[in-house]
Amino acid sequence: MSKHHITTVINGDPVEFLCLANQSLLDVLRNDLNMTGTKEGCGTGDCGSCSVTLDGRLVCSCLVLGVEAQGKSIQTIEGMANGEQLHVLQRKFLEHAALQCGICTPGFLIAARSLLERNPDPTEEEVRFWLAGNLCRCTGYNKIIEAVLDAARELRGA
Amino acid sequence: MQAKSQADAPIAVPQTVRVMLTGGFSRRYTDGVREFEIEAKTIRGVISAMDRLYPGLGEHLEEETSLAVNGVIHEVVYTQIVPAGAEVFFIPRIEGG
Amino acid sequence: MLTNTKNTEHVFKSVGTSPVRPDGVPKVTGIAQYGADYSLPGMLWAKILRSPHAHARIRSINTAKAEALPGVKAVLTSADLPALPFDYVGPERVAVNYWHMTRNILAREKALYEGHAIAAVAATTAAIAAEALTLIEVDYEILPHVIDVDEAMHPDAPLLYEDMITRGIEPAPSKPSNISKRLEFKIGDIDAGFASADEVVELSFKTAPVHQGYIEPHSCLARYGADGQCELWSSSQGHFVVRAYTAKLLGMEIGNLVVHPAEIGGGFGGKTVVYVEPVAVALSRKTGHPVKIMMSREDVFKATGPTSGSSMTVKVGVKKDGTIVAADGLFKFQGGAFPGSPVMNAAMCAFAPYIIPNVRTVGFDVVSNRPKSAAYRAPGSPISAFAVESVLDVLAQKIGMDPLKMRLKNAVKAGSPTVWGPKHSHDGYAETIQALLDHPEYNKPLGKNQGRGVASGFWFNGGGESAASIHINEDGTVVLATGSMDVGGSRASMALMAAETLGVPYASVRSTVADTASIGYNHVTGGSRVTFATGLAVVEACNNIIEELRLRASIMWDVDVTGVVWEDGYAKPADISVGDFEPLSLKAIAAKRAVTGGPIVTEAAVNAGGQAPGFSTQFCDVEVDPETGAVKILRFVAAQDVGRAIHPKYCEGQIQGGVVQGIGWALNEEYIYDKQGRLANAGFLDYRIPVASDLPMIEAIMVEVPNPNHPFGVKGVGEANIVPPMAAVANAIQRATGKRLTELPMSPPRVLAAIDAG
Repeated sequence: MSKHHITTVINGDPVEFLCLANQSLLDVLRNDLNMTGTKEGCGTGDCGSCSVTLDGRLVCSCLVLGVEAQGKSIQTIEGMANGEQLHVLQRKFLEHAALQCGICTPGFLIAARSLLERNPDPTEEEVRFWLAGNLCRCTGYNKIIEAVLDAARELRGA
Repeated sequence: MQAKSQADAPIAVPQTVRVMLTGGFSRRYTDGVREFEIEAKTIRGVISAMDRLYPGLGEHLEEETSLAVNGVIHEVVYTQIVPAGAEVFFIPRIEGG
Repeated sequence: MLTNTKNTEHVFKSVGTSPVRPDGVPKVTGIAQYGADYSLPGMLWAKILRSPHAHARIRSINTAKAEALPGVKAVLTSADLPALPFDYVGPERVAVNYWHMTRNILAREKALYEGHAIAAVAATTAAIAAEALTLIEVDYEILPHVIDVDEAMHPDAPLLYEDMITRGIEPAPSKPSNISKRLEFKIGDIDAGFASADEVVELSFKTAPVHQGYIEPHSCLARYGADGQCELWSSSQGHFVVRAYTAKLLGMEIGNLVVHPAEIGGGFGGKTVVYVEPVAVALSRKTGHPVKIMMSREDVFKATGPTSGSSMTVKVGVKKDGTIVAADGLFKFQGGAFPGSPVMNAAMCAFAPYIIPNVRTVGFDVVSNRPKSAAYRAPGSPISAFAVESVLDVLAQKIGMDPLKMRLKNAVKAGSPTVWGPKHSHDGYAETIQALLDHPEYNKPLGKNQGRGVASGFWFNGGGESAASIHINEDGTVVLATGSMDVGGSRASMALMAAETLGVPYASVRSTVADTASIGYNHVTGGSRVTFATGLAVVEACNNIIEELRLRASIMWDVDVTGVVWEDGYAKPADISVGDFEPLSLKAIAAKRAVTGGPIVTEAAVNAGGQAPGFSTQFCDVEVDPETGAVKILRFVAAQDVGRAIHPKYCEGQIQGGVVQGIGWALNEEYIYDKQGRLANAGFLDYRIPVASDLPMIEAIMVEVPNPNHPFGVKGVGEANIVPPMAAVANAIQRATGKRLTELPMSPPRVLAAIDAG
């Protein structure tokens, strides 16, 4: 099987890679591009640890083929901070102790940012339902929800 | 042992402690006997004394148990001091998750 | 005990605050490296072939075709690992038997569960390794299988081991069975006790196995060199234990294996054992290349230890005034394919919160064709508590007593008896009950189809071996290292305790986890032991370094060391007679380290004892949909005695996390098998753990009754919180519907069936 040559933009930078037709975007990111910030928790789209955005749309990268990235723009956790300046969500997760083991954290941050881009003033219930596709086994979700709501407040300037 | 005169060293009063085993442990290693009066001041002393009563028991006590000295849980450490009259209870060692 | 330091303030400066943890930024930016995030040049990918059958004799394994596939560098079977003798070693409660352990790593005579590892392949790509698995020919003789614990105990059940004679029965049985062990604890006279009771309730319960559910699958990277030196990067709850097990299973000297602690994506007890590490090391040894293994989620469910399923009968007798006079518990636990369920813990913890003069608990450890059970957060205790706390609720209703008040009436404190022998040594339980009685929502009225349930729980908490080292850097900042894997933020807690003891700001302490070659032995991060035991090692190391700093200061001032005291992070003259010296900071002393004797370092080690157990009391409000049987958690309040919250937010997080695992256990989680004994729900879609939209905010109340045996009063906090939730939810459902569910999980079809049964 020969590989496909894919041209894409990742976190604002042009990136090219080769991949097999049946390789997932998650596999490409982690194992070919060494971007291990995006995690594999299940490989079947159930846990959300592999969340990235594809042309602004929140997706599980384990359910996206590498070849589908052709011509598209991808955002991963590695692009969330701006040098030493953390995104407000990253800061709030730290302040609120919204992570324990941290394996689900990159997926939650990507998903939460996607929510706040669409809905800058979500209710607690809206946050919970938006994030229902991201599994966490350590925190019981409490502090994650608190961090997201607090980040939303700060972004609104409230 | 009687002191011969006032100038002699103070009487070495033997210190006894009460050693307890769980039912399962005693059935396996001490023919079901669970309670012992042992002369010892440290855990090393306790283990040595128990080993003299039941040869080979000392290693089982070291490898398989924790202990509760008057209820306070400790790992088996030779130098642990046991106060006079203390209850030294050997219990199955604790492991968690 | 510090003799030459003065704490000028009784209020703690660092302990009790909630600063950002040292591994925080790496984790929110994706830089932190977990087991699957490591790679090395020339690395091979390994995959494991697993049995499709629940029970089968392995007649032969033919690996020739797999080995011939281009890109395959080695195929591994149990023939590549040393045979290990049959011998139970170590603590009775969790005795290790390497004969069993090596067979769980790679099967020998039999496949004992669907998913049992049979062979492994290392190849240049993961795809080639996967293809090679399909070329391995295994000749299986399929055998009848048994999964359910009661069925496995039946005299006619298919036997996993033809020579298993039950231990703990006198005289020993003449016929083999699947019952590995029987145990019993007893105090008082239960017949007399029950005879004196005004009300007696006896109920039977069943629980399904549940998985710890960590989001990170088991992963590791091994590099075995031609000189017999091996490095292993592994996410585990204890890299020293990984080293010990892996070395033993491969016949290696411990000193030839260095294990680096990768960050870990959840463990909850399930990562205190090894699965992939010996395979990766053996393949690396065989190929001469680094080998990486990552389990798939399906393999995690099929082949890694869940906690036991159980069958239980609990009988309790009380007086009209609520005094518990007798209790009898029968606990049958399946340990999976190899002995070692946590039934002894369950038998000890079941009635532990209560002063009862007459108690008997009997436990059976049973094997069945399922993956070997592994520890899961307070192993065993949540299971027996489900039964006991449910029966207590029935009794409370029978005598018309508030369930919290009934618990308070019988609550243990220091000096109370236990069924396993020694007295309780710590208070704290009653305080958790009182915290709920005082809670403003506890007496809030509920509506239609709603109910409130209460439950308590107990867990031992651990002590044991830990080591900590401290180096003072040239600029006076502090490097603190321990060998305790950090799952939930312990690096921060260690730094807080060090900062407090030394009298320096938290920000000046760098807190790390060292590998097995860089620090002394540390036992696992589990058993709620780290803040307690490793904390003790940290404080001892701080005390040592303070003595060293005093000595250096005395040399700088050319005075006797008795003239120097350490106060609030500075060396100061003990009094004016010593001399008119300015206080010396860590920075000032470090700057002169060369002329005062060299680097300023220490390492301290403990085999810690004196830990206090964990008690938790919880109430939850539910609403049950009478048309679907769906249960909605409206409110959940969990009180736990934490001794002292070193980092309050992380303590809260432990309580909230454990409660939510318990909610999942109560309402959704179970393993579902088909008729061939194969797992039907080996993924997160159908093995349903709680998601954010299932839950309200979980309220955590941290009660602090300090442990006098720890410099900061710490009691382990990680585990006790998962013990009560299932019973709390069951009791709430009963109050909401009038139906008592005695089987877990209480999923909608089961709740609906109970409601419809009329």
